[in-house]
Amino acid sequence: MQHAFRAGIADYRAIWTWRSWVLGWMVRVIAQVSFFGLIGLRVSDERAAFYLLIGNALAVAAQTGVFSLNMTSSERWAGTLPLLVASPTSPVVVFSSRGAYLAVDGALSALGALFIAGPAFGLDLPWPRVLAVIPLTGVVAIASYCFGTFLAGLVFRFREINSLVVLVGYVGLMTVCGVNVPLSYYPAALEWISRFLPLTNGLLAIRGVFEGAPWSTILGDVALEAAVAVGWMTAALLSFNRLASRGRLDGSLDYGA
Amino acid sequence: MRAFRAGVWLELQIIRSSPDTLIPFFTAPLFTIIFLMIVRNGGRHDLQPDALMAPVLMTLWWFALFHGGNLVTGDRWQGVLEWILAAPSSLATVILGRIASIMTIGLVGFFEVWAVGRLMFGVSIPFEHPLALALTLLVTVFAMAGTAVAFAALFVLTRNSYTFANSSSFPFYVLGGVFVPIALLPGWIQPVTKGVFMSWSSDLLRSSLKPAPIDNEWGRLGMVLLLGTLSFLLGRIVLFYVLRRMRTTGELATA
Repeated sequence: MQHAFRAGIADYRAIWTWRSWVLGWMVRVIAQVSFFGLIGLRVSDERAAFYLLIGNALAVAAQTGVFSLNMTSSERWAGTLPLLVASPTSPVVVFSSRGAYLAVDGALSALGALFIAGPAFGLDLPWPRVLAVIPLTGVVAIASYCFGTFLAGLVFRFREINSLVVLVGYVGLMTVCGVNVPLSYYPAALEWISRFLPLTNGLLAIRGVFEGAPWSTILGDVALEAAVAVGWMTAALLSFNRLASRGRLDGSLDYGA
Repeated sequence: MRAFRAGVWLELQIIRSSPDTLIPFFTAPLFTIIFLMIVRNGGRHDLQPDALMAPVLMTLWWFALFHGGNLVTGDRWQGVLEWILAAPSSLATVILGRIASIMTIGLVGFFEVWAVGRLMFGVSIPFEHPLALALTLLVTVFAMAGTAVAFAALFVLTRNSYTFANSSSFPFYVLGGVFVPIALLPGWIQPVTKGVFMSWSSDLLRSSLKPAPIDNEWGRLGMVLLLGTLSFLLGRIVLFYVLRRMRTTGELATA
């Protein structure tokens, strides 16, 4: 696990430098959150803007978590996937550790966006209550990363649709997890399903921090988010090896569709 | 013309064999749903046409940025750039054919967004000025193609083009006034937006959906054309020098 995590960090450092992360990625993330904040101002008022700002800042944590899907695809491109599957260590251990830095990155990006774009729009950060947002964002990032790891197992043998699943995955979360409208806006069935997805419950907890909700409500929501994380990681552990073995059986690990 | 046609055909084959290329057609309906939910939840049904135009522009921008922008870099990774350059046909003409193919396919997004709005929310695109709308879409596609050539040239110079492409989406949605008109942006940023063709396109698209007469229609269409042409020329010049340097230093196939 430790080696895989280090390999992931090395990957990330090859993709981003500090300069490109700050001037490229963070500028994009702040623009993304501001884009929705501006929509809120145009559609209604500051209150609507704050709602969209908080939701979309947290959506960044979910988005980066889902990026862990790219791990399997890049292994396949590099030609190292069959070697990993043949090694005595389970592939899910390698992939889940190797992409773990994405949870850290997601939480940092989301917090950066929230604490930079938020005050720029006049969002009040209630001190010291707002400090609770930091660990809560971490839980959202971990839950999304667990979900991404599960999806990675599903697309293990279908490299060509990897990016498709990543993009549709995170925009889908933005659509159904109460990021842009309250959960009550959705049809009852969709509202119910969204509770089993990462982001929904954690976001409710964070909105609760800003709105001054009782701590018991906030803790209840974050406990649900943690349960969702455990659920998706368990599903990943149960399905990943089976899906990888299927690729070993039919020889599709290298060249499959 | 044969090289242009070959470029168009090649790109169609690539798109056919790679479902990932069509990502925007999967995300456009989701963004349509998101934007329509926001305006309806806010009680602003008058903004529904604007909510439909934003995903159209985002789809076209995605194709220009991620697909058009990575053409030359992709060829380089696959080790075919030397062969293309050694062929008698002009690389720029082939690239133009490929990008024209991509951007034309991108227009499907318009009909997709229209269908999603109609089927899921019962909202249609109000064709108040159909000719202006069609012309704006046409010049926007032209300007997007010009920008894609510029991106294709600039991305070759970068260590990892994906990071640049990834970082250029939402900043341009803000500067291009994709949903929120640039008049609502802070004053200090507004002069910058005047140089972004999308800010002219998005304003014109929104105007073409409203019953009021369109102010300075031809002048605004001309600005989109002008900015698109300038991007194309910039891309051609950069590409010329980049490829000449690569030929000289023997870096065509290597990083």
